[in-house]
Amino acid sequence: MPNETLLLVGTAKGLFILRGGGGKWSLEGPHFPGLAVYSAFLDQRKGRNEMWAAPASWHFGAELCKSTDMGKTWDQPEKRRIKMPATTKKPLENIWQITAGGDNDSLYVGVAPAALFESHDRGETWSLNKGLWKHPHRKQWQPGFGGLCLHTIVTDPKNPKDIKIAISTGGVYQTADGGETWKVTNTGVSAYFMPNKYPEFGQCVHKIARHPSKKKLFFLQNHHGVYRSRDGAITWEEIESGLPSNFGFGLTVSEAGSAFIVPLQRDAERFTCEGKLRVYRTRDEGKSWQPLTKGLPQKNAYEVVLRDAVTSTGNNIFFGTKNGKLFASHDDGDSWKMIEGSLPEICCVKAYTL
Amino acid sequence: MKVYLSGHLKQFAGGETEVSLPGSFTSVGEALGGLWSLHPGLRDRVLDEQGKIRTHVNVFLGEKSVKQSEGLATPVDADELHIFNAVSGG
Repeated sequence: MPNETLLLVGTAKGLFILRGGGGKWSLEGPHFPGLAVYSAFLDQRKGRNEMWAAPASWHFGAELCKSTDMGKTWDQPEKRRIKMPATTKKPLENIWQITAGGDNDSLYVGVAPAALFESHDRGETWSLNKGLWKHPHRKQWQPGFGGLCLHTIVTDPKNPKDIKIAISTGGVYQTADGGETWKVTNTGVSAYFMPNKYPEFGQCVHKIARHPSKKKLFFLQNHHGVYRSRDGAITWEEIESGLPSNFGFGLTVSEAGSAFIVPLQRDAERFTCEGKLRVYRTRDEGKSWQPLTKGLPQKNAYEVVLRDAVTSTGNNIFFGTKNGKLFASHDDGDSWKMIEGSLPEICCVKAYTL
Repeated sequence: MKVYLSGHLKQFAGGETEVSLPGSFTSVGEALGGLWSLHPGLRDRVLDEQGKIRTHVNVFLGEKSVKQSEGLATPVDADELHIFNAVSGG
């Protein structure tokens, strides 16, 4: 009997929770019907199984909600957990990422406008990370099409003070002291839309992900550009040989160390290349990429896969599309099967082995 | 003062869409303060963190749009307050 997999699928119209094993899936939801869910997270540390999600109402704003019964019921505190302090003079626009810290009790949340919130008591209390907010670059970051958002947080269980983040548009920043100070690490990453094509910051990085065992090896999907870093996300080199396009959003790395992306035609078009839904995989750290097509539509398939809609647990890979299709692979990408075909626009997919 | 709420907000008002506020108020902001004291969960949904009425929320004093008047400082000259989600979304 294979382990059960749990998927948190955030859509433009609510959160769906899927459970599967042996090829059969059950679906619960939508939770928060009608609200956009761009981030969700299951905290499995110490076996606590606390679920987090961030529904955003077009009218009434975004909030961070918690479930202690695996998503059956959710709280919506009278006083919201994530609030921009009055001193920032900015309202919260959306919550883009919820991530476990490297220790057992910390949680981090990335939001728009680009900022990082942290909790060190399992989400009981939250505060704005002042080190990043006071960073001298912050006022020069510019919003992309999705707003000015901090959408990626990569933490390290072996070193909780090491946190790497990505901002659109700002690029990659990282701290080695738990968030007191942040340094910019975009060397080698292009910003083709700026006069200086390789600025210190201002890149529109869409996603970064770490290799599961080679802790200094990272992959990066840029707004045009696919990169690898072998020095802990400090310097980057292009790895685009064999790709039909270097534009895309999502990125994941499986337990086997394979990296997966879904290239889209160029910025101005933003749908799958040639109307074929192809996932690309590299097993040699980006030296080569293989198109994965088995089980995926190869004709008239004009799909878009967003930055948090590609994920993995073990060697099970999942992705969702803006057309509401959800695909799974249980063999490190060799073959795929559609497990849902008519969900609302999929904003994020998070996978967990139970 | 009687406050009429969008149905989306009733979960933060004890399941009701009509709330009676005891006392008298000089401004809309003061009246809303009375509403928050009865139902604190409404505040973060209607106002943003900077204390402004959210972009896609409309508040009417009688038939007058507060946003098109003096905002939260609008003097109270009617006995009904309406809080709607704006006709927007996707």
